[in-house]
Amino acid sequence: MLFCYITFRSITGAQLGAKLLNRAGLNHLMMRSPQSMAKNGCGYALRVKGRDLYPAVELLRQGNAPYQKLFGDYGSGGMEEVAL
Amino acid sequence: MIYLDNGATTFQKPPQVMEAVAYAMTHYASPGRGGYPAAMEAGGAVFAVREQIGELFDAAVEQVVFTTSATHGLNIAIKSLVKPGDRVVVSGFEHNAVVRPLYALDADIQVAGQKLFDQTDTLNAFDRAITADTNAVICTHVSNVFGYVLPVERIANLCRQRRVPFIIDASQSAGILSLSLQETGADFVAMPGHKGLYGPQGTGILLCNRPAKPLLEGGTGSNSRDFAMPEFLPDGLEAGTQNVAGIWGLGAGIGFVAGLGVDKIREQEGILHKKMVAELYNHPNIRLFTGANQIGVLSFQVEGMDCQRVAEVLGEAGIAVRSGLHCAPMAHQSGGTLEAGTVRASVGIFNTMEEIGAFVKVLQKIPQGNRQKLPITT
Repeated sequence: MLFCYITFRSITGAQLGAKLLNRAGLNHLMMRSPQSMAKNGCGYALRVKGRDLYPAVELLRQGNAPYQKLFGDYGSGGMEEVAL
Repeated sequence: MIYLDNGATTFQKPPQVMEAVAYAMTHYASPGRGGYPAAMEAGGAVFAVREQIGELFDAAVEQVVFTTSATHGLNIAIKSLVKPGDRVVVSGFEHNAVVRPLYALDADIQVAGQKLFDQTDTLNAFDRAITADTNAVICTHVSNVFGYVLPVERIANLCRQRRVPFIIDASQSAGILSLSLQETGADFVAMPGHKGLYGPQGTGILLCNRPAKPLLEGGTGSNSRDFAMPEFLPDGLEAGTQNVAGIWGLGAGIGFVAGLGVDKIREQEGILHKKMVAELYNHPNIRLFTGANQIGVLSFQVEGMDCQRVAEVLGEAGIAVRSGLHCAPMAHQSGGTLEAGTVRASVGIFNTMEEIGAFVKVLQKIPQGNRQKLPITT
């Protein structure tokens, strides 16, 4: 997996998540959720490297920053939902 | 101009507030909507101010909702909790921002505590008034007419013990008195951004300890496929494009307040207030409304003069004060000043002892110079 997208229901939720990752020095990019991931319409996501998915999710769980879903980008053009 | 109407708005702002507003207007697009840098940076700015507010009032960022004013926040809080006919206990010092929404809802308004500057009396009155059929309690932290500091923390305790929702109007206290959303356990705390937090007008804050009903429905940049408003905060209460320039300016104001420290601001304003009281206390023609548990605001009447005329005389001398009922007839009813109103002088952090001296000097001259030719208060 090249990248993983962690989606949030609101920009504030994504910002809280980004803050937690920042504090831990974990590289990420906050962005609008790709439409294919945003089944409820607009949303925001944090993109992390595939290898950082597990520590990122753990940080979010510990920090009570509820994310919605996880999607993997395997470089094939599409996104696949990932379950942890 | 000597500005002594800080209870209405802190007209004199720290320069960084104006700079922040100008910066936002030239750098920030719509937050929470686009993904391009100017939109993402706007979102980051709004989040940063939420964090500042959360730190100042001990609230989580999702509990911080931006409003246009304290009135806006109070309307959200009241209309989330109160149904027509509900029994609502309020202090005797509430602003129309509380009273009018309750009246519009046809609530059964129970007034608790009308004695000025006596926190024990106020607390006992709330203790008696909050009964099993009370649906909500609302209390101002500081009277905008008299500067009386009400014991909201202890009233909050009563509400927690009796499981009654509690709303605090922090319009006059935010930035001057410490207040913790978590410690009080209040359901809602509403405040303006443009008074003691030194932000621009058109900004306000509602701190939420529970879900609330929106006054406005519309776009939030989240859950867009759903025709219903998001139920989660802050999005559920922030429909429409936010006042980013105002919010960023508010952040600069809060930074100014946090830099000085709320305690220091209260101390400084207390010194100015004490000087006003000390200089006017023994004046034979001036009736001062002062006592323990008072900050920032001083109401007074000049014997034989309409309060508006007193304000005009002060205005002619370049001193800005407010006269009348201050949108708080309930407070004037409690203070016994409903018919005549009062003149209100309210200090801010930019006032000086020299300015207070000039204000006092004008007042001391009024009875000799103008009294005879002025209308008599009925």
